[in-house]
Amino acid sequence: MRFVLRRLLLFVVALLAISVAVFAMLRVLPGDVAAVMAGVNSPPERVAQLRAELGLDRPLAVQYLDWCANLLHGDLGASMLTGRSVSEQVGVRASITFPLITLGLLVALVIGIPLGCAATLARGHRARAAYRLVSIVGGAIPALWSGMLLILLFGRGVGLIGVLPSQGFPAAGWGAPVQALTSLVLPALSVGIIVGAGLMRYTRSALGELAASGYIEMAMSCGMTRTQAVRQVGLRLAMPQMVSVVGLTFAEMITGVMVIENLFALPGLGTGLVTDVGNRDLIAVQGELFMLAAFFLLIGLLVDLAHRALDPRLKASIGGNEVSA
Amino acid sequence: MGVDIRDLRIAIGGKEIVHGVDLSIGDGERVGLIGASGSGKSMIARAMLGLLPPDVMVTGSVMLSGAEVIGAADRTLADLRGRYTGMVFQNPGASLNPVLPVGRQVELPLRLHYDLTRSERVERVNAMLAKVGLPADVAAKFPHELSGGQRQRVGIATALITSPRLIVADEPTTALDSITQRQIVDLLVSLVDEAGASMLFITHDFSVLTRATTRCVVLDEGSVVETGETATMLAAPQDERTARLVRAARTLTLRVSREGADRETDRGAAPSDDATADEHEGEA
Amino acid sequence: MKAAIGYAATVLRSMWRHAGGRFPLVVLGLWAAISVVSLFWTPQPLMRTDGYHTWQSPSAEHWLGTDGTGADVFSWLMAGSRTDLLIVILTVLVAAALGLLFVAAMVSRHTALAGASVVVVDALISIPTVLIALVLAVPMGASIAVIVIACGFGYGLNLARVARPQALLAAQSDYVESAVSNGASGAYVFFRHIVPNILPVMLVQLSLSAGTAVLAESGLTYLGVGVPSGTPSWGHSLATTVRFITVYPLTVLWPGLVVTVAVVALNLFGDALRDAIDPVTNPELRRAAGATRMEEDGHGR
Repeated sequence: MRFVLRRLLLFVVALLAISVAVFAMLRVLPGDVAAVMAGVNSPPERVAQLRAELGLDRPLAVQYLDWCANLLHGDLGASMLTGRSVSEQVGVRASITFPLITLGLLVALVIGIPLGCAATLARGHRARAAYRLVSIVGGAIPALWSGMLLILLFGRGVGLIGVLPSQGFPAAGWGAPVQALTSLVLPALSVGIIVGAGLMRYTRSALGELAASGYIEMAMSCGMTRTQAVRQVGLRLAMPQMVSVVGLTFAEMITGVMVIENLFALPGLGTGLVTDVGNRDLIAVQGELFMLAAFFLLIGLLVDLAHRALDPRLKASIGGNEVSA
Repeated sequence: MGVDIRDLRIAIGGKEIVHGVDLSIGDGERVGLIGASGSGKSMIARAMLGLLPPDVMVTGSVMLSGAEVIGAADRTLADLRGRYTGMVFQNPGASLNPVLPVGRQVELPLRLHYDLTRSERVERVNAMLAKVGLPADVAAKFPHELSGGQRQRVGIATALITSPRLIVADEPTTALDSITQRQIVDLLVSLVDEAGASMLFITHDFSVLTRATTRCVVLDEGSVVETGETATMLAAPQDERTARLVRAARTLTLRVSREGADRETDRGAAPSDDATADEHEGEA
Repeated sequence: MKAAIGYAATVLRSMWRHAGGRFPLVVLGLWAAISVVSLFWTPQPLMRTDGYHTWQSPSAEHWLGTDGTGADVFSWLMAGSRTDLLIVILTVLVAAALGLLFVAAMVSRHTALAGASVVVVDALISIPTVLIALVLAVPMGASIAVIVIACGFGYGLNLARVARPQALLAAQSDYVESAVSNGASGAYVFFRHIVPNILPVMLVQLSLSAGTAVLAESGLTYLGVGVPSGTPSWGHSLATTVRFITVYPLTVLWPGLVVTVAVVALNLFGDALRDAIDPVTNPELRRAAGATRMEEDGHGR
């Protein structure tokens, strides 16, 4: 319990730090915010007017507190370009990105964990080298390229087996669930293959250490084959670490899928952020960066709590001090 | 269960570690395998039960009750292990599944080999835990919540839950303090004899061996150097390498008995944790 | 200096002996050679575009065909290799410098500085490099500097975290204690005693980072915040052709293949390097080290 409270406190402190960082970043960087927004050749009066409009002429501390107060109400301000609420915009985009990375992660798990197990159990020099090559090549493919190859294979109208849509998200959004889901299949596969290669390597190294341990021998001595022991005992023992890795991978995928979202013309968080950066829509960028950072922190929190719940040795340690297992 | 090992050779990465070992254990016999660390004892034990990783080369013959182990299919060997054979490991802290409550660990061989209901399994597990001298509430605890001696009792309970015909004990006492060592050896011997099983007892320590075995085989750098009655060998070792092990055991025994005496006279101070005290009461 | 060259030669020789080391050495060698050659010669001038011959199939004139502007795909890939090489080298240098700076702070004798830097590194490390690049691109626009700074920063943090345990071990060792008590300066101790200890970890980590930098270049360039348009790079070749993938699939294959092979080579290079510089797995190194030591003894007397 004490651990949970301490971890929550850390979360809040980090969130505050991030809010300061995001707020400061876009003001410390070279280039006056108002001048950047107004455009390169706009007259000084226009810039001054914009400054006043945005409240940029007030002291920084006041601006920051004002921004925080709005944050607490879930108000990230309004986009300079569209005038729409940034939080609403983020919500709509997240409804595409989150299902996409969830699907992608599922693909990665389905590819990575069994292959990692197989690589651990592989017999002979050649088989092991082959598995290693698969994981290295899988991790070396640019996301853009894997997406492209998949479109060439399965893209509707263009691919060899053209059965899946490869461009855009249905206008009705999740109102048309089947179309929405099928439009996510190819992007999820493209990102899943790459992330899966990483998970495979990770599973391999986590299990490799365990496979030589007494835990596996013990299970085998009770009547399991090596394969059974690695799959049942090894995977379970690797789970706390795996959950951490999978959680952090999930968080990283939000930005990792930017290229894929772009390629498949999905209006997700990544595509949106790139567009807003391109448009110098600083208010939107600031809000989006904060939301993303807050999300990373949240995942980190959940991962730490899950890690603990899965390992009885950590649960029991007194006072919540970290015990390296 | 009778064991017959002929010309067993074990090689890792092209380097031979065990050079043609012969060893036999009669039905119901307790045999010791003794040698310095690195002599290949544990390798032999693992090869007997098919526990070595696939990239270790094993040749020769290991017959368990007339069935060949070397080259047998994974499934066949797994069906054998935990049912007809049980293994006690050196360090229960590094072999008992850390995320499994003790009760679930002990029942594993039952679950893998027998078609029993949950309550039948729980009943047998509780009986077994009582037999190895553990309180009933241990079943719900995790290994890290137990003392070293208690953990090894759990290891023994797991190895013996299905009343196997052969027990392979790989340095079961090395990780324990000297007093607990004796109790664990005595417990193991009495349970094995009660079940009428055979046992291969591996150690580097002669002083433990006399309590556990009648006959023993001395191993040095992967080859057998001497075989005979444990007591005779301890009294008059023929080979210089055996003699070295015996001398080491003597000095150790002296120290052990002195330590034991110290502890007996000064009970409050010596055992720092409750668990060690527990073991003491068993002895007294 | 002579010892350093001898060491490098020994390491390279043992890498060359295995297929897993020879492949990356060949690829990286080719990459460097092509980069240099492309400065003086490409099969077709880079800027020669030809509106009448766009998306041509491979021919004697255009070995890998032409792209949407009629420019020669092979020539652009050749020229792209020098940009990517530059990005990789700069990123690795920035990452190494920042990494060392962070390591120095983390093992510093000022406990407050050490503690604070550990917390800062842990907090910053979770920020994805893409985000850093996007933020940098707001004022800077698309440029090579964006890639180098964002990646160098991210990989530098990573390096610091990976190298910290070893650095800490060295910092607490007896020889550092005695050096400090003999009045050695902090910088001297750091470069003389701590850096050599973390060098193996650093080299491996940096070669992995180099591979990631190539991937990042292609992604960031595609997103419009990396290499500016008009500058040849593999990511540029990939990004400009990818939009026409459905029409001219063959043209699009090459840039992706080049990137994949380069990244595989860099990853294998890291693995092979790790094996080659580990005295446990490489007996040759032990012999060489023994010889050097004897030589040094000889000089000493």
